[in-house]
Amino acid sequence: MLKCTINGKEVEVNEGTSIIEAFKSLDEDIAHYCWHPGLSVAGVCRLCMVEIEGNPRLQIACNTLVTDGMVISNQSEMVKDAVKWGLDFHLINHPLDCPICDQAGECGLQDQYMKFGQYDSEMGQQKVKKKKVVDLGDKIVLDSERCILCSRCVRFTEEVSKTNELGIFNRGDHSEIGTYAGKPLNNDYAVNTVDICPVGALTSKDFRFRQRVWFLKDKPSVCTGCSTGCSVDVYFNQEGLWRVKPRYSEVNGYWMCDEGRKIYKSTNVMNTEFVGVRGEKKAVKVQNRLTQAIHRKDNEVDYFLTSKALENLREDLKSVDKAALVLTGQYTNEEYEALLSYWKSQFKGENVFHWTNHEENWNDFDGLLIRGDKNPNTKGLQSSLEKHGISVEKDFSKLTQLTHVFVAGPENQWVYDDINTKVDIFAKAQKVIWFSAGLVPVSEDLIGNFLFIPTKTFAEKSGTFVNFEGKEQSFEMVESFVSQALSLTEIVSVLQGDSLTWHKPEQVERVHNEFVHERGTM
Amino acid sequence: MEVKLLSEHYGDDNFKTLEGYKVKGGYEVLPKALKMKPEEIIAEVKASGLRGRGGAGFPTGVKWGFLPNNGETRYLLCNADEGEPCTFKDRMMMEKAPHQLIEGMIISAFAINSPKSYIYIRGEYTYAAKVVEKAIKEAYDAGYLGKNILGSGFDHDMDIYRGAGAYICGEETGMISSLEGKKGQPKLKPPFPAVQGYLKKPTIVNNVETLAAVKYIIRDGADSYKKHGTEKSAGTKLFSVAGDVNKPGNYEVPLGYPLLDLINNECGGIKEGRALKAAIPGGTSAPIITAEEIEKATLDYECLAEMGTMLGSGSIVVMDDTRCMVDMMKVISHFYHHESCGQCTPCREGTGWLHKLVSSVIDGTASVSDIDLLCEVANKMKGRTICALSDAAALPVLGIVPKFREEFEFFIKEGYSKVKGRANA
Repeated sequence: MLKCTINGKEVEVNEGTSIIEAFKSLDEDIAHYCWHPGLSVAGVCRLCMVEIEGNPRLQIACNTLVTDGMVISNQSEMVKDAVKWGLDFHLINHPLDCPICDQAGECGLQDQYMKFGQYDSEMGQQKVKKKKVVDLGDKIVLDSERCILCSRCVRFTEEVSKTNELGIFNRGDHSEIGTYAGKPLNNDYAVNTVDICPVGALTSKDFRFRQRVWFLKDKPSVCTGCSTGCSVDVYFNQEGLWRVKPRYSEVNGYWMCDEGRKIYKSTNVMNTEFVGVRGEKKAVKVQNRLTQAIHRKDNEVDYFLTSKALENLREDLKSVDKAALVLTGQYTNEEYEALLSYWKSQFKGENVFHWTNHEENWNDFDGLLIRGDKNPNTKGLQSSLEKHGISVEKDFSKLTQLTHVFVAGPENQWVYDDINTKVDIFAKAQKVIWFSAGLVPVSEDLIGNFLFIPTKTFAEKSGTFVNFEGKEQSFEMVESFVSQALSLTEIVSVLQGDSLTWHKPEQVERVHNEFVHERGTM
Repeated sequence: MEVKLLSEHYGDDNFKTLEGYKVKGGYEVLPKALKMKPEEIIAEVKASGLRGRGGAGFPTGVKWGFLPNNGETRYLLCNADEGEPCTFKDRMMMEKAPHQLIEGMIISAFAINSPKSYIYIRGEYTYAAKVVEKAIKEAYDAGYLGKNILGSGFDHDMDIYRGAGAYICGEETGMISSLEGKKGQPKLKPPFPAVQGYLKKPTIVNNVETLAAVKYIIRDGADSYKKHGTEKSAGTKLFSVAGDVNKPGNYEVPLGYPLLDLINNECGGIKEGRALKAAIPGGTSAPIITAEEIEKATLDYECLAEMGTMLGSGSIVVMDDTRCMVDMMKVISHFYHHESCGQCTPCREGTGWLHKLVSSVIDGTASVSDIDLLCEVANKMKGRTICALSDAAALPVLGIVPKFREEFEFFIKEGYSKVKGRANA
């Protein structure tokens, strides 16, 4: 261990710790753009200047290792002056188009300006003009004028995704980020470059111009995209979720895959889709969620309140003694526990089926984060089944011999590409009780007796997932978006005769347009 | 008085061939050196007080001493990317006396136990590259390069590598990046090249003139070499004199030689008898000195440092009284704007800003307060970047602008150059 003093505070750090890491461990303020804990040191933004006792020259904190007894400060006038001018140099050719910039509100430059700047520009000359809209690929757009050339995105494609699409082209103040010929930035982790971009240079096509970030709140959660279970932050307002970003944890480091970022779509009642060819694209709102209970018998459709539908079902089930249960690995431990206990007492724990996405691919792993098992809680389901001594059936043809079939369907329906065939199989049962967050794709002419009960998505409930390596990860409810949706636990309690306790008022309190400041990307 | 060690045979056209070189005693030092112990050579170079001739003036023997003893392959790189404006001493050496460089390099490589060296030649030096390439081939054929050189058991290979025209590749870590096939951008230090350089192996980068001088130090001994020059600035140095003198060119004088003598005697005085106005003593990166300062200036590291400027690469730009300093400043700041690699923010943005500010003086859009801004921007660029290019861009501003402030003020107020007058505006 090494002892050093940072801004008058003594701290002990491990050998090999850089000064900037020591600052971070103390939660001391230090400005920086190019340094990122998940990437190599570039040392180019020159903002993390510190004064080290006995050294006449300022040093950059990111490339200087702490030595024993070092006395470091970034409070001196010399450092403040260097940081102020560092910011000036960043800003002289920056377009300062914050009002139309998507990064406004979470921009490193804005944060620094509020801290150190708040004066008029000293640049009286023409700024360098660069390209404002550069299409880097299917997911990302670059604004070269806003770019401060911190090289985080370049280093990400070199070191993390190892796909090397990006480079810095040209020289001096004409330098620009770009992709190599024939190599668009379309790798599976590309949107991480948007997250780590400290300014509004890289923006995600999926999110840009959709929301002002200061009107969004964020809460921590766990990704439901696959069995890795990355820690994420979800950004939301009263309309729904708008984006998902990775949050540092031992599971996923600083990153997440682009596919995982889609999970917010399964929560929203309405999703916007863009249809048509380029130039004539139109935004169309498409309903995504099941908002109330639906009874659909052949062509007749009836709508119910969830509580009413469940009470009817309870009466109905009194005469049923044999039924099947189809489970997917997309629910929480708590829900499995409630459902399987109920199943054990009501139906002796028999006829339980496990519906999976391509099981033959479950061991697939891309070496970074993406796994073939696209369910967040397969492990949790398996241990719950084991605990109750329930063995699962895989042969779905046995289903049709049973009168009632309960389906705890997938929340992220896009990973279950056999959903249409499964609907056809289930339709042959006397009655299908389908718990689903999203609308289930049932064709209009299908003959069958379906009762759809709306369930909550990961964002609307609290619970626990167990990831591929058996790590239990609990998450909290973010916000309720469909008032009629229930968790499986709540559904079971109604089926067992309890009355439904709705959320307490404080839990469904709406998000106010509260200004979220200094979210930053530092 | 000129003292010719390195440039003794520049006049002999045959000297660039192996045959001509051998007639004048070429490759006679190499067998002697190969019989010495490597440590003895390093000690001799240290004792000679030889300092890096590329610009920084770092003691060569000390630099060699930084190599770690970890058994890793060591590389010797010869920095022939002579990009400092107005410097042409290395070019002439490569064109006139390539074998002198090669011999110096083999001796140096033997001293630091390096099996491989590269000569990184500036892209524009097409002819020099051809001459050096031919000389290397001759040296291979004669057994001075390759396996078991002169039966000593020492193996050494040498190659040239041609730059693509970037000034920044003359910075040692920028050069290493370029040699590795990357964009020529300086690397963060630490680690220093001596510890982790080319291909992450211990690497020594020395200037052409430095490596050639090693040959003469071994030939004559450190004591004899030290007889030239001053106590702290030992030896002779090649100076490229350009500008308003009657006889511009390369001159080899002992360090500590008075600058005014070099201008008036060796270079034949100022053109057409005009008056001396100022000179830049060490390439455009060095701050300017005025005519009064020139009178007191001697060409050594210490005297020039005391005057707030530097010896640098040893290229002297002499200006007479018809030179407009605003023009001069614009040309210089344009160069650094063009050559900044764009890595560190203060340099990337600052060099452009300086250029635009100086241009605005000439365009007539500047105000007097912009002169202070110019100096302040330059001040804030200094010492805050990975390499010294930012300083190189800032120092000329901090030299020229305060010393010739009235010319800038005149230009801003009147709209034309004080020196050239309205007609030439």
